[in-house]
Amino acid sequence: MLARVSYAFRETWASFKRNVTLTAAAVITSAVSLLLVGSTFLIQRAFDNLLTRWKGDVELIVYVRSDASPEQITFIQEAIESQPTIIDVAKLRYLDQAESYAEAQKLFAGDPGTLRLLTPENIPSQFKVVPTTDDSNLIRELGESFRGIEGVREVAYAQDVFDVVSRVSQFIRVATTVMSIVLLVVAIGLIWNTIRTAMFARRREIEVMKLVGATNWFIRIPFMLEGLLQGLIGGVLSCAGLWGLNSAWSNAVTEFNDTELAALVVSDGYVSWVMVMLLVIGAAAGAIGSGIAASRFLDV
Amino acid sequence: MIRLESVTKSYSTDVTALRDASFEIAKGEFVFLVGPSGSGKSTLLRLMNRQEQPEKGEVWVAGKDINAMPDSKVPFLRRNIGNIFQDYKLLLNKTVFENVAFALEVIGRPKHVIRQQVPAVLDLVGLADKEDRFPHQLSGGEQQRVSIARAFVNRPLILLADEPTGNLDPATGEGIMRLLDRINGTGTTVVMATHDQRIVNQMRKRVVQLDRGVIVRDQERGVYD
Repeated sequence: MLARVSYAFRETWASFKRNVTLTAAAVITSAVSLLLVGSTFLIQRAFDNLLTRWKGDVELIVYVRSDASPEQITFIQEAIESQPTIIDVAKLRYLDQAESYAEAQKLFAGDPGTLRLLTPENIPSQFKVVPTTDDSNLIRELGESFRGIEGVREVAYAQDVFDVVSRVSQFIRVATTVMSIVLLVVAIGLIWNTIRTAMFARRREIEVMKLVGATNWFIRIPFMLEGLLQGLIGGVLSCAGLWGLNSAWSNAVTEFNDTELAALVVSDGYVSWVMVMLLVIGAAAGAIGSGIAASRFLDV
Repeated sequence: MIRLESVTKSYSTDVTALRDASFEIAKGEFVFLVGPSGSGKSTLLRLMNRQEQPEKGEVWVAGKDINAMPDSKVPFLRRNIGNIFQDYKLLLNKTVFENVAFALEVIGRPKHVIRQQVPAVLDLVGLADKEDRFPHQLSGGEQQRVSIARAFVNRPLILLADEPTGNLDPATGEGIMRLLDRINGTGTTVVMATHDQRIVNQMRKRVVQLDRGVIVRDQERGVYD
């Protein structure tokens, strides 16, 4: 048993040295594809966090014209508070122009063009309304009734923003998933090719092995081990990359700590889980890919 | 030990390597397969360790219909069959000792068995003092002895030899034949394909002659023609 194990490792190492360039190509490709797989998971998770945060938060915003009189504002507030069955009155928040302007500074931090157009004088103040119901039709009906009140500039539904973000995240998910699958296929193809090259280099040995009665598994295992190691090394590299990317991302997001964007941070626990998964996918894809390749070319 | 029953093997629709071949080889026999190139000698040998499978007929080795056995059993069949080739098929990056040990290593024999069996078989073939040489440091005859040692180290029931003297000068070839005769003397069945007339005539063993895939002669203590 020990003899067999040491044999397998010896052969694997020899083969690694023999095919440095092809091995490097296979390792790098699997690292990149796994990194994409991991990023897909993290991006998805970040969006999910954000969407969850929003869902339980403001669902309706009533924007008040910047030139509305204090009486009009009071009237709007009373109109909103007159619906305690639909609206959680305790959570109703009013942001005056100064507060709205401060919020806009954060929300549009990445959009200086929009920011330039806003001043504390022209910005609408806003009522952030939290409904008690999940019935979006009812919320919409209520929102439309607010629209007619004097001094109301606009009524925005969180549902609309939510839908847009959902669609964007959906699109990103599909795009990154497709790319990572394509790259994963390329990586398996490259591992396949290194194994084929390795087997060609050792065809004489394999012929002798078959003639003296080595089992196919015995012949195959060093090659599978080689593929497994390639996938695993790719996995380790991708984990390092993912960790780096996530740290940079978390640092960037922390700057928006008191806005909803802070929800885009992904917990370390989840990142670790994704990394373990990448290692498993890498090792399994490498071992299975090379195992199939070895079986295909074993028939010499 | 080996029995062929109406075996037909063709490589494509118009090339028939073997046609309706039947014969039996008893345990411990020494048999020459003779005939010109392309007469089907090598095909016959390759059928006996299931490197090839026939279209028709059965091949029985050591009491088993080897074409009926599943692929997974073939390696165990081959552990009972040694193979020798005209071109030796030695591994050039391994020493004499390693080449012979390789055959035991890859069937999972433990180290202490290898350390004991390899020197013994190298002694038998007369290469005890050359176990650390590489194949390119040996003469053709010595290389063939290494390949015989490798084929015999696991003490197979059968030894299949395909033109083992084809690349050797007559005197060296005779040495190889004496060695094969000795191995045959230990009870190992030897089947050897050759077109070396002199050797066949000298040895006076059973001769099976092939011509374009058909067995045309099967003679005890025969000569080449």
